[in-house]
Amino acid sequence: MKKFMLLLVCLLAVCSCAYAETDSEYVKAKGVLVVGITDFKPMDYRNEAGEWIGFDADLARAFAESIGVKVEFQEIEWNNKILELDGRNIDCVWNGMTLTSEVRAAMACSNPYCNNAQVVIVPAASAKKYDTVESIAGLNFAVEHGSAGNEQATLHGFKCTEVQDQASALMEVASGTADAAIIDSLMAAAMVGAGTGYENLTYTVSLNSEEYGVGFRKGSDLVYALNAFFEAGYADGSISKLAENYKIQAALIKQ
Amino acid sequence: MSILEVRNIRKTFGNIEVLKGITFTLEKGGVLSVIGSSGSGKTTLLRCLNFLERPDDGVITVKGEVLFDRNDPKTLHESQIRRKRLHFGLVFQSFNLFPQYTALQNVMLAPELFMKENHTWNAEKARLADEAEELFVQIGLADRMNNYPHQLSGGQQQRVAIARALIMHPDILCFDEPTSALDPELTGEVLKVIGKLSEQNTTMIIVTHEMEFARDVANQVIFMDGGVICEQGEPHELFGNPKEERTKQFLMRYNQK
Amino acid sequence: MEVIIQQLPIVIHALNIGFMQTLKLFAVTLLGAFPLGLIIAFGSLSRIKIISMTTGLFIWIIRGTPLMIQLLIVYYFPGLVLHNPIWGGGESGRFMAASVAFVINYSCYFSEIYRGGIQSVPVGQQEAGLVLGMTKKQIFFHVTLLQMIKRIVPPISNEIITLVKDTALARIIALQEIIWAGQAFMKGSYNISGAIWPLFFTAFYYLVFNGIVTVMLAGLERKLDYFR
Repeated sequence: MKKFMLLLVCLLAVCSCAYAETDSEYVKAKGVLVVGITDFKPMDYRNEAGEWIGFDADLARAFAESIGVKVEFQEIEWNNKILELDGRNIDCVWNGMTLTSEVRAAMACSNPYCNNAQVVIVPAASAKKYDTVESIAGLNFAVEHGSAGNEQATLHGFKCTEVQDQASALMEVASGTADAAIIDSLMAAAMVGAGTGYENLTYTVSLNSEEYGVGFRKGSDLVYALNAFFEAGYADGSISKLAENYKIQAALIKQ
Repeated sequence: MSILEVRNIRKTFGNIEVLKGITFTLEKGGVLSVIGSSGSGKTTLLRCLNFLERPDDGVITVKGEVLFDRNDPKTLHESQIRRKRLHFGLVFQSFNLFPQYTALQNVMLAPELFMKENHTWNAEKARLADEAEELFVQIGLADRMNNYPHQLSGGQQQRVAIARALIMHPDILCFDEPTSALDPELTGEVLKVIGKLSEQNTTMIIVTHEMEFARDVANQVIFMDGGVICEQGEPHELFGNPKEERTKQFLMRYNQK
Repeated sequence: MEVIIQQLPIVIHALNIGFMQTLKLFAVTLLGAFPLGLIIAFGSLSRIKIISMTTGLFIWIIRGTPLMIQLLIVYYFPGLVLHNPIWGGGESGRFMAASVAFVINYSCYFSEIYRGGIQSVPVGQQEAGLVLGMTKKQIFFHVTLLQMIKRIVPPISNEIITLVKDTALARIIALQEIIWAGQAFMKGSYNISGAIWPLFFTAFYYLVFNGIVTVMLAGLERKLDYFR
């Protein structure tokens, strides 16, 4: 019994001692920045060769280079992003993440770098019918669990089903199991309409305006390095050029 | 000198005393029949001799060596039990052949493992195979050696079980109601094999309900009742002129059947 | 249809990569859980009270909680609570964590099947071995084991087929098995967005693989049919 108590005390001691070094020292020591992402066009997605590209992916690669470490992209289950971050399985969440109050409370967030809106996705055939907030009030919505779209649906009192990710929300509409979905406008621009996989869907009403940011572990000093990187990149025009590549230049925020 | 001396064996399960002090001796080459009604402790006695049960009291001596003495801790080590068991062989009522092996493999398995353990397998395997085949001739199943147990009749299976026990060369071969699980027409072939063994001076203890056989094959009979030896003696005395009232009643019940 | 034919090679390629993870997890789980399950079965059959009770408690906890929670605990607990992220963030670490959780979970299920199998071998078999002077170990390996295997093939087959499909649960810690790979095409990667059919196409992989597994297990059952 005594031995058992001793073991328990040791375990608690290990648990309660915080990490000694700063986050940037930690990342530089291991030489790699692990970026937590999901498959989210046009911010993070695979090209035909299977490499991660996208506005966020390219920017993260450049940032890692600027602090002298390699970058590693790790797909995560979006619901577990805070677990992944706090458990040090990843070093940041950089994935077109809306700076909601929940995100700001759980992470150290960078300055916003992109504007976004939550938009309503409906079948193209009925787009004319559903072009105002009032007209969509009675629909059944599909939203990603814990997303900004989820927040908007609650705010407006819409009836909604929470699904795993935004792509699933789109599938719900396409398959007719939901009347409409609420997703990020940047994603909607890339994923629905003519020339995409969801040709019969379109987006109509914008419910809000919001901003994207990058999340680090609470108390991380890498936030300052990233903010400085954003400023420099905006000043020399390299970020704007990157944004043009992915056709999101209009959403860019001045640093 | 007796080959086996059993003194004051007691065994209790829960609060039922199954053996209440059993004492007897057996001469080399002798055949002992144990009779008695179900629950009289016959099977438990055999299981104690084969170290499948540990007696609560008593002494077992084979060829002058004390194998078990409840009051002598030196004789109680678990590690010694295996060697001591080999003094005895046991043929079960339900045969207990290993179903995944052929008749021949059943007979060969235990000695084979034993020899492999002692690194004598390569030197002895030819001799062992010959011996096994001889045993199959002896039990009249030379043509069925390569059959699996489920392909044999009950009587054939029991004969294989006897061969399996014989190949270990036990000092004393025990039978626990060897024909009780057999159809009546199959008991003869098994009893014939046991009878032949007695002619070859094999020392045996036979628990059986076959009274006629018990009388013919044995030179000594024990009648057990309620965990004690009620009467013992030579077969013609015990069967022909029983002294105890309980023996008489028991034999009468059998004669009526 | 035309679009699907165009997409097919890319999709098959990505699904194959995902399916390799599924297969690897399947194989590692079986290789680990077969022997570990036997050890746990011996633990629960132990005559030493403290061992059998501890084992019983362990089996109760593992069988009584969802595999999904176990995956989350195995993967996140070291980093979150012990401040020592032993698995790392990469795919290989996730695979190792998933393997550990699956092996432990399936060992417990296997152990109960083994226990039933061992107990269903008549005690006379063991006694016959004992009176022939065999050791307990010899009796287990040369007498009991094969009879036990024969008896447990049908229930183990059930577990194995369930395991093939359970591997999909590992996606909760972002192990990129085949369903994860199938869903990627809804999200815009590989220049394919909104393609839903690959997700459903993954069912075909499971079906074919389970077909092969079923045939192999039926073969094993037939092989053991020579004795009763």
